[in-house]
Amino acid sequence: MQDHEDKLSQLNQKIEAAKSKNQLQNHSNIPPSQLGKVMKLTVEIVAAVGIGVGIGILLDNFFNTRPLFIIIFFLLGGCAGILNVFRVAKSMQNH
Amino acid sequence: MASAKEPNLIDPIHQFAISKLADIKIGNIDISFTNSSQFMVITTIAIMFLFMLGLSKRSIIPNRFQMICELSYNFIANLLRANVGEQGRDYFPFVFTLFMFIFFCNLIGLIPYTFTVTSHIIVTFAFAGLIFIGVTLIGFVKNGLGYLRMFYPKGVPVYMAPIIIPIEIISYLTKPVSLSVRLMANMLAGHSIIKIFAGFIVMMGFFGIIPLAGLVAIYALEVFIAFLQAYIFTILTCIYLNDALHPHH
Repeated sequence: MQDHEDKLSQLNQKIEAAKSKNQLQNHSNIPPSQLGKVMKLTVEIVAAVGIGVGIGILLDNFFNTRPLFIIIFFLLGGCAGILNVFRVAKSMQNH
Repeated sequence: MASAKEPNLIDPIHQFAISKLADIKIGNIDISFTNSSQFMVITTIAIMFLFMLGLSKRSIIPNRFQMICELSYNFIANLLRANVGEQGRDYFPFVFTLFMFIFFCNLIGLIPYTFTVTSHIIVTFAFAGLIFIGVTLIGFVKNGLGYLRMFYPKGVPVYMAPIIIPIEIISYLTKPVSLSVRLMANMLAGHSIIKIFAGFIVMMGFFGIIPLAGLVAIYALEVFIAFLQAYIFTILTCIYLNDALHPHH
């Protein structure tokens, strides 16, 4: 009987060890490659400018004020792009 | 199609051409069954087949196929738990389906003579746009109008609001674009490079063995990228979901 309980507690320890090992692995994400990083930042800034100009064109067509809103939202889009890049770079630093 | 029949002519973009397999029209809307739809169906059947094969026996000591199913289940379950927390469990079926579909689309696209569904911006943008709309709706349902506070960060002076709020909204709208462009661009670039290198092998004759060695390495990298892009797409979905469920981070 004693023998069985020893074996059981040993098994429990093994299970706990495996669990903690598994959790450690979860936190270490796959490191992104350099090219991937560059790509990510470029896409962020281009997408933000694109969205900004898109909103500007829509508003201009709606209010017939071309090119007022295109200029405003182009600048805002650029700001948003830089904000995005800043946030992504910050999260890259933390990892 | 004519250019493909001429030998010695490399056309790396030709593999992405969409051709109609069956013409179907409802009113003015063209919903023809294309080679893209064909490979979506193949992907779905492949995933279903794998899981039926793996989970039919449900043995305590798993065989190889059951191992694959259990590993992929655990992988996504851990991803959700680490990024969203216990609340994320409700969204497991969607995230798991998303990951498996994109991963299998990417992998099947690597087999010669197949079509890569995820190399088209409209497909990836449909995914990203649906996720974006869904996550926004979840955010509003779970937080009410308080979700809008996300566009106005704490500690910003009131006179800055007219500038900050549009910037934050544009930054929020960028998410689906950058998500879909990244997946599409990686697939498009990778497959074009493989095709171009394959063309070098034919052109260089005996010395084609040099690009062949390079091609083997690039192909291995592409298999890794196929997984990595599916993983990035999934993990970003989890992060957006987390932002919607717990906005005040």
